[in-house]
Amino acid sequence: MGLLVFLPLVLPLTAWPVARLAEHHLHPRTATRLLTAVAAVLGVCSTLCLALLMVVGTAQLPGNPLPDAWSDPEVRAVLPYDEIAGRAAIPALLAVVAVCGRVLLRHRGVRRRAARALAGLPDRPVAVLPDPSPYAYALPAATGRRGRVVVSRGMLARLGPAERRALFAHERAHLTGRHDRLLLVARLAAAANPFLRPLRTAVTYSAERWADEEAAVRIGSRRVVARAIGRAALASGGAGPAPLTAFAVAGPVPRRVAALLGAPPAPRAWPPAFTAVGLALWGALVGAVVSALASANSAVTLYAVLKAATPL
Amino acid sequence: MKKRDDGDAEPGARRRGQGELEVQVLAAVRAAGGPVTAGRVRERLGGGLAYTTVITILTRLHAKGAVARERVGRSFEWTAVADEAGLAALRMRRLLDGEGDREAVLTRFVTTLPSSDEQLLRELLARADAEDEAPRGGEPEAGGPEGRGPGAGRAGEG
Repeated sequence: MGLLVFLPLVLPLTAWPVARLAEHHLHPRTATRLLTAVAAVLGVCSTLCLALLMVVGTAQLPGNPLPDAWSDPEVRAVLPYDEIAGRAAIPALLAVVAVCGRVLLRHRGVRRRAARALAGLPDRPVAVLPDPSPYAYALPAATGRRGRVVVSRGMLARLGPAERRALFAHERAHLTGRHDRLLLVARLAAAANPFLRPLRTAVTYSAERWADEEAAVRIGSRRVVARAIGRAALASGGAGPAPLTAFAVAGPVPRRVAALLGAPPAPRAWPPAFTAVGLALWGALVGAVVSALASANSAVTLYAVLKAATPL
Repeated sequence: MKKRDDGDAEPGARRRGQGELEVQVLAAVRAAGGPVTAGRVRERLGGGLAYTTVITILTRLHAKGAVARERVGRSFEWTAVADEAGLAALRMRRLLDGEGDREAVLTRFVTTLPSSDEQLLRELLARADAEDEAPRGGEPEAGGPEGRGPGAGRAGEG
């Protein structure tokens, strides 16, 4: 398998350009789905290769439960720098498993507690809570329960009638599009390989943009959606942490508002190849395919070598 | 790691009903109409629950601010402060305030706004409002009474 096995660990870097450019050049729906798919492939391949490295590394440890023959020179020959890479892969993979597990547990925990908090309220698509502090969010469907929009009175009081409709349309777009699943995949991928974190950020943002644009179509005005977001954010504002860099780029909320006040995104799904975003997109896709091929090749090679080495 | 909610420590079967149980107990206290002892609450619930369970749930409701209690002799008398929706709001606030990661799980309408963004956002909205006030045969808007910049500004400071 040679150096190929290391490739999927760094190939997430090929997706960085498109993660950066997608926001301005792709339709948010396309961007969300595409970036999530790319992140998923790259994350799975990276983890698979880490697992292969770990097998070779574990076989060298004294007292390991694997067959003794797996630490033979022939096996170690397939992996360059087998001593260092194999040993380093063990804690790396354990960390990946731990972080992914934590993401899943938290996800389930928050969802369950949110559902439990609403127990006792009538099962309607919208739950209005008597709370002066302004918030609104989508609580995705769980087993035996429909997805719900949860909104506080404090939030509704700060919005006009048209803006309220914009808010509900936005949250409903999250629910019908099952954006929560895409976001979970992106978060797991980022947990599997830190190089995929920019993709998670991009997916989070483009999912919001997607819901914004759906809401704009539903209520027939992008400007009303922009104003609803602006009002809601100003109402809940002030509590946010200051950005770490002094001259940071604008945060997601002003960018969403600016995007809605600008021209609507082109519905075209695929950008021309010889533009910056076209090249970035192809770069990411090629990266994902190469990652898949490299990890498949490594897996098959290692399997064959281990099988040959194992005494029957 | 995550701060454990008191409800999370309960074993499986009970845990699922935890939310509903709190709602039932609160409803019983509310139905009493005034200060009521735990024993009376238990009777109103039909006696299906152990006395200690009722006390536990009342204490939990008290911690959440859904009921008030007053010591009378050797025991407490309980009064409802919130209704079912109020209880849901209190529980939701605990979740939203307590969990660091909930932003990632619950897709909120807007994320919190750093002060630099606030300024930028006000400018964007002011510009949009200015464009709307210029007479155009554009989109139909619910602009009229609340579509003005200063009003939005004041809401932000509250």
